[in-house]
Amino acid sequence: MTGSRRSRLELVFDILLAIQNKGGRIKPTHLMYKSNLSHKLLNQYMEELLEKEMVQIEKIEHRKRKTPSKMVLITDKGLGFLAEFRRMREFTDAFGL
Amino acid sequence: MYRLFFTPEWFNGFDLVFETIGLIIALMIAFYSYKIFRFSKENKFVYFSLAFVLVALGLGFKMFTSSVLYFFPLRESVAIVLKPVMGGGLTLADLFYRAAFFMQMSVMLSAWLLIFFISQKSRERLKKYHEISQIALFIYLILLISIVANFRYFIFYLTSAVILGMTVLNYYKNYLNSKRNKNSFRVMLSFLFILFSNIIFIFVSFYDKLYIVGEVIMLIGFLLLLSTYRRITKK
Repeated sequence: MTGSRRSRLELVFDILLAIQNKGGRIKPTHLMYKSNLSHKLLNQYMEELLEKEMVQIEKIEHRKRKTPSKMVLITDKGLGFLAEFRRMREFTDAFGL
Repeated sequence: MYRLFFTPEWFNGFDLVFETIGLIIALMIAFYSYKIFRFSKENKFVYFSLAFVLVALGLGFKMFTSSVLYFFPLRESVAIVLKPVMGGGLTLADLFYRAAFFMQMSVMLSAWLLIFFISQKSRERLKKYHEISQIALFIYLILLISIVANFRYFIFYLTSAVILGMTVLNYYKNYLNSKRNKNSFRVMLSFLFILFSNIIFIFVSFYDKLYIVGEVIMLIGFLLLLSTYRRITKK
């Protein structure tokens, strides 16, 4: 991660990359740390990603807990975005954009 | 018929093929840049896309000027179509040639200048309204150069070479800053070839065969751009 401010697209990329690096599924708390975002900001982006079907939420029931725990999963569309973003970044780097 | 410079006759037509290839490559890059703009909503991508559309347009106008020279039927049919408006006595071929050459020059110079601006690493470039005045000044200079170059064609290629030279320098800096990324190197090399072709075109009036060398070098430049584009989008 660079010292400069990340763009909206770079933030989305970092979130999806964090999920991919964890084998396609990650706990929300881990995602917050891995993508280096605040709870509020992560929730905002998660809403957008869920709406665009790039991620999905899996609820896991536990016998000892009343509330189920959540796991964030990356979808095929999310993986497609990661690949496309890498290509676009390669293009912008090559042309110095 | 009036001509700004002469080219070897046997090469007539080959240059049209070369320019068609360059035009298609420029449009492909413009389209991809516009796709990134739709994705990111960052203005620099739409400007970059516009620059390559202008390159394609410039090549299109060059093809038109060459066609007016090479193909008598085209010249004649255009003359017949415009005869009721322009009158019969006017040497229409000259008019078309000069008009299309003017369009080619103004569009191509705008394209190179826009690419140069974008290759500058200024954070605020093309964002603030006060830059509109600078852009207006540059458009005025481009039009002025295009008019003057209609009588001294080498001014156009000289101006192009100067702008492209500065752009190549920017791409060299980008190559160094991008940890010697191979694609950055290829982009720099493509613009270097396009720069060499423009330098060669300056001297076409001294030795007409230089036109062939210039056209071939420009084609290599565009093909290098295509190979870079393919390497990126095929990943």
